[in-house]
Amino acid sequence: MNLSFRHGVEISRLARSRSASLGFLLSLAIASSVDAQDMSFDVDEAESAPAKPAKGKKGKESAPKSDDTEEGGEASVPASGGDVLSELTADKGKEETATDSGLPREKEVIEKIYAVQRMYVLRNGRFELAPSVSQTFNDQYVSHPALGAALNYWITNVLAVGVNLLWYQGIESESKLNFSIRRSTRLAVPITEYQLGAHLNFMYVPIYGKFEMFNDAIFQWDAYLVGGVGMLRTRPVAVIDPAVRTFNFDWHVSFNVGIGLRVFVTKWLSIFGELRDYIYMEKLENLQVSLTARGNESTWIDPNSKLTNNVTVALGFSMFFPFTFDYSYPK
Amino acid sequence: MKRFALTLTTIAAALALGGVLPTAQAQEVEVQGPLAGAPAVVGLRIYRQLRFQVQLHVAMTLQDEFSRSFIPGGQLMFHPTDWLGIGIWGGFALNIDTALTDQVVDKGQTNSVNVLSLPNAQLFSEQIGRIKWIAAPQVSFIPLRGKLGIFEKLFVDTDFYLFGGVGFVGLEERADVTSSKYVSCTASGSLSQAIPCFTDTVNGEGSRATRVAIAPTFGAGLSLYLADFVSMSIEWRALPFSWNTSGTDESGSDRGDFPDKQINSSDRLSHFNHMLTLGFGFYFPTQPRISSVD
Repeated sequence: MNLSFRHGVEISRLARSRSASLGFLLSLAIASSVDAQDMSFDVDEAESAPAKPAKGKKGKESAPKSDDTEEGGEASVPASGGDVLSELTADKGKEETATDSGLPREKEVIEKIYAVQRMYVLRNGRFELAPSVSQTFNDQYVSHPALGAALNYWITNVLAVGVNLLWYQGIESESKLNFSIRRSTRLAVPITEYQLGAHLNFMYVPIYGKFEMFNDAIFQWDAYLVGGVGMLRTRPVAVIDPAVRTFNFDWHVSFNVGIGLRVFVTKWLSIFGELRDYIYMEKLENLQVSLTARGNESTWIDPNSKLTNNVTVALGFSMFFPFTFDYSYPK
Repeated sequence: MKRFALTLTTIAAALALGGVLPTAQAQEVEVQGPLAGAPAVVGLRIYRQLRFQVQLHVAMTLQDEFSRSFIPGGQLMFHPTDWLGIGIWGGFALNIDTALTDQVVDKGQTNSVNVLSLPNAQLFSEQIGRIKWIAAPQVSFIPLRGKLGIFEKLFVDTDFYLFGGVGFVGLEERADVTSSKYVSCTASGSLSQAIPCFTDTVNGEGSRATRVAIAPTFGAGLSLYLADFVSMSIEWRALPFSWNTSGTDESGSDRGDFPDKQINSSDRLSHFNHMLTLGFGFYFPTQPRISSVD
C-alpha cells in the first residue's frame, strides 16, 4: 500500500532492500498490529539509512504494512529523486536539524493520512444517554412541556433501539386562549393533563453530513428517524363541570414517530433537536352534564375516544458510552 | 438476596459507564506537514459570495388560533461574502379559517355578557384578525456550510443560516368599537335589540380595519443546493407582535376590570407568530466561484 516508495526502488539497491527486509521483520516483532488499510507515511522511513528499521514516535504508527512485504521489503528503501513524498517531506520535519547557517530547523512529520477519511464517530455497540426538554408544537389550549431522558443502544452505526421517559406533571400550563374562548364565546374546549410517558423506540440514521464553519472548523451531523410504541399517562381536566368532576390519571397506548438532527461536539457528546409526534387515543371530559346523575362518574367521560397528536419539539444533548471506540478495517 | 442483586447491577452499570468494559483509543487524524494550516475545505463551491439570490417560496403559519395564512412570495438577497447576505423577504397571504373558528361558528353562544365579543356566532369568521402581507428587510448570517448524504447515495451541498430583521406585517382586524357605541347598542336593555346593533360592527360598513404591525423577525434555515444556481430551502421564522386575533373584548380598564365594553388596541394580545417556509432559490451569476488554497 505504500505506493510512493515503489517508485524509488532500483535494482542496484537489492542488497539494501534485503537489509530493509530484515529491519522490517524486526520492526514487526516490536510494533503492535497495524490496520491493513492505513496509509502511513513517516519521514523517518524516507530519511533513515536503508538497513535501518523504520522508527517513529510510536512503533505501531511507523511500522510498515503487511502489504509492503509483497514488495520484498521495499517499504524501508529511502526515497530517491523524483519521489513526491520525499520532496514534500524533506525539509518540513519538526525534528530539529542544523541549517546552513547553523540555526536549528524544524521538520514536520506526517503521521497519518487516510485515503478515505474515517467516520468521525462510530456508534455501533455504544450506549447513548440523552436528556432533553420538549415543548408542545400543536396545542394552542394547553402546553405539555416535558423533561425527558432516553437511553439507546446502537446495534449498528445507523440503527439503535432504546427507551425514553418523559415527565410532564407540574410543568404544564393552560394557555390564555382557552380562558379567552370560554369567556368570549361561551364554549369550553376539553383539555387534558399529562403525567408521564415511557416508550420503546427505534432510531435510524438515513442522512448524515458535515458542516464547515468559516472554512476552519468542521462539524459532523446527522438526521435521524425515530419511532416507537409505549404508554402515556394522562387525565382530563374538568372544564365543563369542574365543581363536581375530578379525574384520575390513566394509561394509554401511545405511538410516536419523529425526525431529529444531531450535531457532534466531540466523539462522545452531541446536541440534538427533534420533532416528534406522540399519537394516542385520548379520553376527554364529557361535554354533556347529566341533570339526573351529575355525580355519577360513569357520565363524566366522553364515551368516544379522540385520536390525539401531541407534536413536540425537543432539544437536548446526548452522551455516548464508552467515551472511546476502535476503528476496524477489512483485512 | 434482592439487595445483593441490586448491588451487583449497580456495580456493573458503574463499570460499564466508567469505561472499564472493553474500550479502545480513538485515533485522532492529525494533519501536519504540507497540509498544516490549510483551509478545512479546498475546491469549495462558493454559492453565495457576490451573487444575487431570487427565491420563490410559500410560507405557512403555525399554531394559529383562528386563521391560518399561506404566504406565497419571494426573497431578494445579495451576498457580499459567503457568510453574509442582505435583502428582503415578503409575500401576500391567503387565509383559511382554523377548526376552532368553525367550532365557534357552529356552537358559539351569545348572551348579555359577551354580546360585544360575539354578536353573532354565524359571523365570527368576519371578525377575526388576519395577516394580509409581510415584508421583512433582513440580514442573513451563514455560519455553517457543508454537505449531506442521503442513504449513502445522494450527496447535496448545503448550508445552515440564521437571519434577523424587521418585519412589516399588514393586518386586517375588527375595527374599534367605542364605549359610546356600546352604550347606544345596549340602551334598550334588550339582548335581541343589542345583537343586530353589534352585528353591524362585525360585517357592516367600516367593520374592518387595516394597519401595519412592526415586529422583529428572526429564524433559521437550511439550504440544499440542487445545482450550481438552484437551491431548495426550508426555514423557520418568528414574528412576535400583538394583535387581536379573535376580534373580542379582551382587556379591562386600567384597574384590570373586564369587560371594558369596547374594542380597541388594548385588546391586542402578544402572540409568538411563527411559520415554516419552503422555497426555491435561483442565483446570479449562475456559476459559483471555486475556492482555492490561496
